[in-house]
Amino acid sequence: MKSTRLVLCSILLCGTTPVAALAEGYQGAPRTELFNPALTSCIRDTSAFKKAGPYVIGFSNAGLGDSWRVVALDELKQGAQDHKDVIKKLIITDAGHDDAKQVSDVQDLVSQGVDLLIVSANTEKALDPVVTRAMKRGVPVIMLDRRISSDHFVTYINASDPEMGRLWAQWIVEKLHGKGNVVMLGGQAGSSPNENRMNPALEIFKQYPGIHILDTVYSDWSPVKAKQVMQAVIAKYGHSINAVWSAHGLQVPGSIEAFVEAGFKPGEIPMHTTADINGALQMAIKYKVPMLEVGDPPSQYRLAISVALKVLAGTPLPCVVTVNSQIAVTPGDETASIRGDLPITDLVVPNGAPDMLITNDLGPNYSPSTAHIDYPH
Amino acid sequence: MSATILTPPATPRRVRRGPSADMLRLLMVLALILAIIVVGAVVTDRFMRPENFANVFEQATDLALVALGQSLTVLTGGIDLSVGSMISLLSVLTSGLIDGNSAMVLPVCLGILAGGTLLGVLNGCGVVWLRVHPLIVTLGMGAILQGVALLYTRAPIGSIPDGFDSLAYGRVAGISVGGAATALIFVLVAAFLRYTNTGRTIYAVGDDSQAARLLGMPVRRVILLVYGASGFFAAVTAIYLVSRFGSGQPYAGADYTLASVTPVVVGGIALSGGRGSIFGTLLGAYLLAILNDLLNFLHVPTQIQLVAEGLIIMAAVSIHVERGRRS
Repeated sequence: MKSTRLVLCSILLCGTTPVAALAEGYQGAPRTELFNPALTSCIRDTSAFKKAGPYVIGFSNAGLGDSWRVVALDELKQGAQDHKDVIKKLIITDAGHDDAKQVSDVQDLVSQGVDLLIVSANTEKALDPVVTRAMKRGVPVIMLDRRISSDHFVTYINASDPEMGRLWAQWIVEKLHGKGNVVMLGGQAGSSPNENRMNPALEIFKQYPGIHILDTVYSDWSPVKAKQVMQAVIAKYGHSINAVWSAHGLQVPGSIEAFVEAGFKPGEIPMHTTADINGALQMAIKYKVPMLEVGDPPSQYRLAISVALKVLAGTPLPCVVTVNSQIAVTPGDETASIRGDLPITDLVVPNGAPDMLITNDLGPNYSPSTAHIDYPH
Repeated sequence: MSATILTPPATPRRVRRGPSADMLRLLMVLALILAIIVVGAVVTDRFMRPENFANVFEQATDLALVALGQSLTVLTGGIDLSVGSMISLLSVLTSGLIDGNSAMVLPVCLGILAGGTLLGVLNGCGVVWLRVHPLIVTLGMGAILQGVALLYTRAPIGSIPDGFDSLAYGRVAGISVGGAATALIFVLVAAFLRYTNTGRTIYAVGDDSQAARLLGMPVRRVILLVYGASGFFAAVTAIYLVSRFGSGQPYAGADYTLASVTPVVVGGIALSGGRGSIFGTLLGAYLLAILNDLLNFLHVPTQIQLVAEGLIIMAAVSIHVERGRRS
């Protein structure tokens, strides 16, 4: 907490200058690995992929459709720059969230002779056949934050999607004492972060007969679209909505705005779940919205380069590599199962930009709109 | 064809001048493709590998298929803006109904092809009997079909049995099976357009539908045929995409509505109808695929790829328009 206080002091001193990556809560090993009830962990033998450097690494990106992905791509470039002694080239393609283009991009990267391919799949099923074929041809593939539906890859790096989904759902159940109406506010239908957060959450909700899912809507991770779809939901269900389960923070400001514009007073807006986005936390405080934040840190993109180098060195790896999710709750809203690593009031950057990711690790002066990350290409 | 209906002239007046003008347009698109290949060869040696060309041949397939149907509607002076939604709906129905069961593949695919054709014919009926501009009729149909697709599912649905993906990814002697089949379909449709009365009537309707009607040509039947064909090829594209993606998605076709027009105009078919060759459409699809491939090899960011694609379209179309004015 000491470091948190120091950081908060520095925010106050900085005045209105946006700064990122500030508060620090839990810093230990990935909880998903420590709490894993299985007797053994899945470890992948990568000796078949061992080769001498320097390496050409290809990254097939689903797209840059939201601010999280912009920061994450900068993290990946920084990762390549961290290891520029062994990475000759990082080739990045961007599919603009078009499955057909991403399938072609993966084929093009393979024919460019990359030593290893990192793929963030636009949708988990559509990219499965082409990634499976790349693996069959002997090109090691690492899935990054968005996986394919089969396990035909070397490893999958993410902040645990099921963990996020379950924690959010359990918190809502306990806050509502097992009785109430929930709206599921998804991201992009068919993308693995959406499916792998929403499905485990629904499994939890199903265990409580008093919990009713009023509606499931998709925001495509956009606050603008979230506002539109939530306006329709609010018009239909009004004050009978008791909680909004949101698959990330990107869409939360749009949802809260829709409630505010529908005449909900501070304190009346139902509880929301969120991740990463500063604006969602700022609004939680401003409008007294009970909120649980479980982070999805974009630093997993920086980690991806280190993991790629381990694969090319033939080091055994977990089949799923997780990064820690920070857990933060609005004061007074902790429940029997959900204890925050820090309160949301400590995590928020009050004067920071609303679209800032509070969980990035590119330093206090990093801003996605002005940053230029140099990398080998 | 009924005896009371006059047979259209084997080579109508304006079409007689067509072949040479068409040939020049085709050569122009070919020249652009060759220019891209030269740039690729200079920039990187890996570009010229046979495997890369095999990839491009395969990657053009979906766009070529949907654009083939679009070419036929544009040749009659119409347009089909429902193809994108039709692909979305038919793709979710294909994978949703097959759902991993190999015994369902044949009946479902036949049903989807019939369904696509029927929806296309309905578009044609709207154009013929409601006398509403095809743009409006097909736009309305597109909205309805997208709605139905979302009512059916809001997320990817179903799966395909092992082996179904070889339709999209299968290679024989290094050559894409889907790509080769598509090229063959283009040859067959081109032969139909050139050597049958109905085929020539399609050009005549686009050239001047009033004159065609006065000459007693079966204008209505031809319009039903081209929209039916557009629906059929949208269904073929949907099945192909399910094979490529392993499942159907409710927005799988969204990008194809306008994208399907691009190879048509780049290939030299006049939007006013009656002029151009469907081989231009095929070359247009190859041009766009190889351009995307080259820009990936040059590591050009996607935003600039879109700009480059836009410039190529405008350049190609302005050249065609200029040639059209001269002729």
